[in-house]
Amino acid sequence: MEEIFWNSIADYNAATWPWQIVLMSIAAVLTLILRFRPAPWAKTAMKIYMVAVSLWIAFVYYMAYGSVRDYSNVMTIFWCLIALSWLYDLATGFSTFQRSGKSEVWGIIMLVLPLAYPFISISRGLVFPQITTPMLPSSVALYMLGMLMAFNRKINFFAFLLVLHWSVIAISKIGIFKIPEDALLAAACIPSMVIFVLHALKAGDQQHKPSYTVVRMLVIAVALVLAGCMVAA
Amino acid sequence: MTQEYIIGIANFIARYLSYMLGAGVHTSRVVRNSKRIGTALGVDVSIHTSQKTATLTVSDHDGQVFSTKVVDIPAFPISFEWNADLSALSWAAHDEKLSLEAIEHKFDEIISKPRMNPIFVLFMASLANASFCRLFGGDIWAMLITFTATMVGFFTRQHLTRRKVNHYIVFIVSAFVASICASTALALGIETAEIALATSVLYLVPGVPLINGLIDITDGHIQIGISRFVNAFMLIICIAIGMSVTLMLVKDSLL
Repeated sequence: MEEIFWNSIADYNAATWPWQIVLMSIAAVLTLILRFRPAPWAKTAMKIYMVAVSLWIAFVYYMAYGSVRDYSNVMTIFWCLIALSWLYDLATGFSTFQRSGKSEVWGIIMLVLPLAYPFISISRGLVFPQITTPMLPSSVALYMLGMLMAFNRKINFFAFLLVLHWSVIAISKIGIFKIPEDALLAAACIPSMVIFVLHALKAGDQQHKPSYTVVRMLVIAVALVLAGCMVAA
Repeated sequence: MTQEYIIGIANFIARYLSYMLGAGVHTSRVVRNSKRIGTALGVDVSIHTSQKTATLTVSDHDGQVFSTKVVDIPAFPISFEWNADLSALSWAAHDEKLSLEAIEHKFDEIISKPRMNPIFVLFMASLANASFCRLFGGDIWAMLITFTATMVGFFTRQHLTRRKVNHYIVFIVSAFVASICASTALALGIETAEIALATSVLYLVPGVPLINGLIDITDGHIQIGISRFVNAFMLIICIAIGMSVTLMLVKDSLL
């Protein structure tokens, strides 16, 4: 199972590395535009990019090169669901890709983290093409998380929850497929969950119960359990 | 006893019973509580309920002065708190001989209390589903996947409900989303992946309408009991449709 997993990554990298560089370049340009010269067209373009990159993972990574793995069709459907969440965002304006000034440094760190994937693989003694790259599912999920964190005035909560789900899968993959690089996503996702949920709690304008303190404690407790599972993995 | 007084009582009891029925209280308790308030105020109350509306007649003991009202039953979220507090209100009205104004004031206080935080509900429902997964034999990974799959499905349900989408469609979509997320456990080769898949939709099971339907039928409120049963079974069918789509895509490999 582990060998099939790494072989499919090698096939994918060997065949698509030029396209991966193109997609990464587009992501870099759009991110820089949104950071320094935000404009409505750039926000729309970023959402279109998110749809495209999700579909890339669904159809190119999982359907074309990951089809040798058991139940790869499930992952195709799941990444189509992520694409759908961004498409829905595009249609309804669910998120705004605007900076709020909160947790921005954390967001920038997460945006850079996908670039660390190949270096970690190489430092582990792996050789191209059998290495992780920024255009693998977990690194793409990490980039999405970084975008949500860096531009978090109003986030796409659907996409966030799906990425959170993916990070749980990533945690389990660390042990099952011996891919410690995925610890980056897991480590980034758990604090993000706390930050996003606490932002959403503070943003709520209605009186609710239980109190903010109780809900915050619950969220932190859940985050600690998830972190415990990651350590155990 | 004046006509205005009777109309005032009828208006209040109509509001009271519509809130109770809307919040998922079984019919015999609603009828009993409404009659108790009527007794406390010195009037007779007769009630007929259906799934969407309720009809009540309030009259003096001679039946000479009366008022009849038909009210729509609003669709509130299930609230055990309203159930308990509004039942306690009927006892307070009876035991303390409260005036209509005092009862109305207490009623307004109860219904204006803050509601449960949707994020808190989201987390608790997800934890509950993860616990179900454990009870059915799921391992830690199955539990975690059930937890986040439920979060996605439950958030979908909350979001679509806020957007006033038809609740049958909400159930189909939520069941599909939760089960497709949980089915990712299959790709990881987790031994208890199928338990995660099966338990990911349990948060949608309409337990309260099913129990209420049964209680209503056994208490003799056959019509509304059957209505509630049919409604609950429709929701169960919707869950089955959502989950079937996932199973057809995943287990039968339609893709």
